[in-house]
Amino acid sequence: MIDRTGARATPVGRVVATEQKPATPHQFHFWTAIETTIGIGAIVKVAALERVVYGVVTDGFAYSDLATPLHDVVGAEGDPVQAAANPTARAEIRLWTAAVLRQEPEEPLQPVPLGQVFVASDADVAQALRMDAYVGGAQPTAIPVGLYTSGGLEAPVYLDADFLLGPEAAHLNISGVSGLATKTSAVEFLLSAIFQRFPAHKGRIAAVCFNVKGPDLCFLDQPGTLDDEDRRRYARLGLEPRPFARVRYYAPFKADGVNLNTLRTHPDLVGDVEPLVWGLREVLDFAEVLLNRDDIDAKADAFIDFLADRVVDREFHDGFGGTHRVATFADLERLFRAIFDGLELAGRSDTWRTHHIATIRKVRNRLANISTRCKGLVTDDGPSNDLPWGRFEDRTVYVIDIANVDPLGQDLVFARVVSKLREHLERRDLGVEAVIVFVDELNKYAPADGPDTYVRKMLLDISERGRYLGLVLFGAEQFRSQVHRRVVGNAGTVVFGRMDADELATPGYQVLSPATKIKLATLPIGELMVRHPHFTQPIFVRFPRPAVLRGRDGVERFPPAADLPFADAVVRQLVRLDRRVRPNVVKDLIAERDEEDVRRALARTRQARPQDVLACFRRELGGRVAAAPPAPAVGSAGVPPLDPITDEPY
Amino acid sequence: MARSWVAAIRAAGVVPAAYVPEASLGRPDDEVVAASVVEDSVLRAHPVTAGAWAPPAACFLDGIQHWRVVGQSGVAPVVQAYVAAAVRRRGPDRRPRTLAVRAREFVITHLAALPAAARRALEDSGVDVVDLPAAELGQPGRTLRAAHVRVDRAREALEHELAEACLAALGPDEWLVVDGLLSDTAAAAHPRAVGVIKSHGTQFFSGAELECALTLPAGHRTSVFRPESHAHRPVYSWYLRLWPWEGNDVLYSLLRVEARAHPDTVRAAPALAAWLAAERAPLAAPDARWDRLLYPIHDVETYLRSRMPRELVPAPGSRLPKTGT
Repeated sequence: MIDRTGARATPVGRVVATEQKPATPHQFHFWTAIETTIGIGAIVKVAALERVVYGVVTDGFAYSDLATPLHDVVGAEGDPVQAAANPTARAEIRLWTAAVLRQEPEEPLQPVPLGQVFVASDADVAQALRMDAYVGGAQPTAIPVGLYTSGGLEAPVYLDADFLLGPEAAHLNISGVSGLATKTSAVEFLLSAIFQRFPAHKGRIAAVCFNVKGPDLCFLDQPGTLDDEDRRRYARLGLEPRPFARVRYYAPFKADGVNLNTLRTHPDLVGDVEPLVWGLREVLDFAEVLLNRDDIDAKADAFIDFLADRVVDREFHDGFGGTHRVATFADLERLFRAIFDGLELAGRSDTWRTHHIATIRKVRNRLANISTRCKGLVTDDGPSNDLPWGRFEDRTVYVIDIANVDPLGQDLVFARVVSKLREHLERRDLGVEAVIVFVDELNKYAPADGPDTYVRKMLLDISERGRYLGLVLFGAEQFRSQVHRRVVGNAGTVVFGRMDADELATPGYQVLSPATKIKLATLPIGELMVRHPHFTQPIFVRFPRPAVLRGRDGVERFPPAADLPFADAVVRQLVRLDRRVRPNVVKDLIAERDEEDVRRALARTRQARPQDVLACFRRELGGRVAAAPPAPAVGSAGVPPLDPITDEPY
Repeated sequence: MARSWVAAIRAAGVVPAAYVPEASLGRPDDEVVAASVVEDSVLRAHPVTAGAWAPPAACFLDGIQHWRVVGQSGVAPVVQAYVAAAVRRRGPDRRPRTLAVRAREFVITHLAALPAAARRALEDSGVDVVDLPAAELGQPGRTLRAAHVRVDRAREALEHELAEACLAALGPDEWLVVDGLLSDTAAAAHPRAVGVIKSHGTQFFSGAELECALTLPAGHRTSVFRPESHAHRPVYSWYLRLWPWEGNDVLYSLLRVEARAHPDTVRAAPALAAWLAAERAPLAAPDARWDRLLYPIHDVETYLRSRMPRELVPAPGSRLPKTGT
């Protein structure tokens, strides 16, 4: 892909150095003709005195021999029109400042010689950015990130997979203003490039993308619209312009428990969306995410640990003669009732198994609250449906759509998925050797200030230790300055789209020249500034539009279906499992049945994935039982039932 | 090359010396020449409409000279001299570009006064040597004037060479503007060449006509007149005021223009004056002569100075011994 055939040998400028503006080992100045293709971000080469220096233009100046503006006014007699009509144009200069990218030889490091300046060719760009170390060789690790373009020249720019995805460095952070689709597009393009060019010797790789807003990531398997220029850029980068071949979508249900909470509900596509449903076990391990730390003290924490370690998923004697096997929130609620009833009958003791009843009531209250707030994601009594832990596939994107989920639920999904990824990667049994986790809105999940949440701690942990595991964070945010500095600081590769001018005024951007900042503030769609460990200076690149359907276009081409009535939604899910299922039979089957029973049967059928779906569903649903008044619980006479969420002050 | 021969002759016994004459001395020009008015019966002022006409392309010719005493062998100075001239052409894009450039570096001394080793050093260096006759040696002022004349002549020779070459290649609509006297060169006969003179040592008029010339209002020219000098080629001339002189001196922003001595020049004088008046902008500042230095001529000077050997650039500061800190 790197064209090594021809380098333009015509110099475009010459290095100049004065006492005020000397050439140093890291910076130099050069002038060009007034009409020049050089601009901010251009890569140039200086060749003189058996030394070759590569630099990137960081600033530009133009001035004339005018000693003072007053002379111009006097010359034109105060008339700007007359000034423009001067018979001779003043002598003027285009003076550029360039930051050194690389010197050859590298030792001894010396000031840049006062030689001729050339526009960098393909091969020069590769040398300047030290890409020669990883583009070629027996085991190349180059991942195309875009095209460096300047003055009609165009050269592919590659990132080093060892420094993008570990183990040398890892993580990518992308910043940019919202609304230009640059951040999401860049990540989609880069993921595609990684999947196409991830070196075989580095193993298998997958991506987990959290869709946190709108339909952004809902159509990664559908082809988008590309023009000829995009296709040419793909060809120049050696990539195929194609959507992702393997995408798995996960979305929780809405509160009704049968309609999926995603914008990918068009009848042609919804069949690919797996419900994301978690039960008590999945939630209890991450109770810390869901419970307000100010609210939950050490006693409550201890009780939750007790439930997780000693109660859930095992035979448990409540001490009042009852035996429980708690697997669901409903089971847990039955346990709580048994405890309260038992304590009541035992003489209104205040403690149970060393836990005070007030603590037990508080924990019960908060856990009940979780299943209410995250209804659709958290099931009270059905089986869970989760990501394919241990069976992750190579070059597959797992999209988890939590755009319309309660923030509490989003935190839970994020924390649990990332924790599970980490666990499996540590055990090397995930199915792939590396996973890219794409998280948008890092401002929200890992803010620079604010409470030290579980999610932020987790992001910090990935940032600081993920590269050893193959857990790579691709984070995006609008304001980099508002993201925790250890999260952005640990990103080996940093990408900037168009930036807000106020953001650029923050201290984190002081290293950039004013001209570079202005370019960043006006960067067009499709252009990025990239910092990478091999590049000693940021480089501007252009990337083609991702070959996938954009979210906005996707919802136009595949309008989301309206929520179906309960019976139709159940039919749709069963038909998705087995196209032979006849809707009318299902509707007759569930008519006048309790919706909770239907949901439970549906979940179990989905979990079982039987050959005969309808038979399984019928079996799980069980026979009709005539309505009868509930029998009083043994030994609970005289104890008033508790509301699911009481008004008690805990 | 220069540095090597200077070092060599000093090593050969020439006493190191340092004297740099004022660069702007120019030529002594204090003669009185009669003139006859050819446009009107008496010299009078004509208003000029700046920018009413301009050629599509014009060439500007100027030269520079720099010299300094680098050694002293008895009373004979060793002078290092540098002269250069260039023609810069300005086309429709309004940007001057170099058409031709010539430069010459040489030594002026009285060879016989130098030690044999110093003479050999000069010969070995290959530098041009202008040998002053013994008759011109004596008091430093006299010798240096003689050296100055040689430098002037060398520069003028380069300018004349370039003027002839430029005129030979001049396009049908192009003009050549020479900094200084046109009457000194073969260009004096060319229909599209003008000389622009900034110094006014020569007096052509007296009485009311002198007052008319020297108190010319801004944006005016005088009638065309013919200087009756026998030392120069015949030309027509007129004065042109670029900026108001009130508040300054009567020579402020006053130019004298020379063109070929031909009736067409009288007819063309309004248009030529209009063109040259428009050349007052952009200002040639920060040059001290900006009031009468046309910017394209300033541009040629700037170009030539940028090519001048570094050691000839006058060093600022005094001649006190350096303290070393």
